[in-house]
Amino acid sequence: MSVGKAAVKVLHLGRISYGSALKIQQQHIKQHLDWSSISPNTLLLCEHEPVYTVGIRQAPYPPEEERRLKELGADFFRTNRGGLITFHGPGQLVCYPVLNLGCFKKSVRWYVCELERTVIKMCSKFGINASTSPDTGVWVGNNKICAIGIHCGRYITSHGLALNCNTDMSWFDNIVPCGIVGKGVTSLSRELGRDVSTEEAVPKLLEAFTEQFNCTLTYNGSFS
Amino acid sequence: MALCTILRCASVSLTSSLPRLSNRIAVTPTTLLARTCYKRFLNTTTTFRAALKFTDKHEWVRVDSGVATVGISNFAQEALGDVVYCGLPEVGTKLSQSDEFGTLESVKAASELYSPLTGEVTDVNDALADNPGLVNKSCYKDGWLMKMTLSVPEELNGLMDEAAYERYIKSIED
Repeated sequence: MSVGKAAVKVLHLGRISYGSALKIQQQHIKQHLDWSSISPNTLLLCEHEPVYTVGIRQAPYPPEEERRLKELGADFFRTNRGGLITFHGPGQLVCYPVLNLGCFKKSVRWYVCELERTVIKMCSKFGINASTSPDTGVWVGNNKICAIGIHCGRYITSHGLALNCNTDMSWFDNIVPCGIVGKGVTSLSRELGRDVSTEEAVPKLLEAFTEQFNCTLTYNGSFS
Repeated sequence: MALCTILRCASVSLTSSLPRLSNRIAVTPTTLLARTCYKRFLNTTTTFRAALKFTDKHEWVRVDSGVATVGISNFAQEALGDVVYCGLPEVGTKLSQSDEFGTLESVKAASELYSPLTGEVTDVNDALADNPGLVNKSCYKDGWLMKMTLSVPEELNGLMDEAAYERYIKSIED
């Protein structure tokens, strides 16, 4: 455990393709692994064009499924994260913390729990009562408001969370989100009955992140 | 009383014809038998219960007859949470020490596994396909991940024994 608060750099990537964001994550992971004494903990924030992504459990999503989803106008990526299928698109705030868990606690179970608590805290700042369930993610009743799926290698994390702000929810009708049958999805806009953009959600998410992870945030306009 | 004397005489004459095993302990048939049996018991257990060695990434290795069985430690399975999927290598995969050899998924997190040794994968625990929770329930026994050959046996010397690993865990938790 480190003495004092860990520093985390925030990078706003804006609207960016899923593939480009993956490349940027890889660059930051490499920085962690190459210079392990200078830990460049980074929080990447972005929005994607419509894309369906799956995790390491590939079997439920054969090439036919990939074709079907691409024909609907979305991109498709097979990734190395945990979790099953999910959707990313405009109006959804995607957050990729590329952290060295050595600066916090060397447990992915702890880390995922802290991500859930961060989002729950953020929801409460909006007056929304969110919670966890036996299924990973953040829920408002039986509807998931935020999906989580991460990768960890040598204590360096990648991938992260996807919070529905004013996402077009019909994209989720084409899949069984996260492989969980019988439950739905929701967004900040749906819960509050008004339009909530990703821009509005960002400061509250960052506030909740610093509180939950007990870290300081630094800002850098450019991306390295 | 007389019987004891006879027995004692018999034991003395018996032991005097045998090579002296120890100068410190009085050699009677009873102690002779105990020492022999004790030694034999020790040899048996040393062969069957090979010591566990550990890496700093919380994998354990147990070597039996030139084959290394690999798994993750109790510390690791607790840190992961409930394992729902094990991505393991194909038999025949050649690995160098510290190569990524697989992934364990738990709580929507995919965590990499690193080879503790250099060698070739000879077996993979197929039971984990249907029962990945074995990694949590029985991490040192039924939840083993893979077996491999040892191309560089000296690598074992660089791994931690159980006592050193316990100290290492304590230093992480502080």
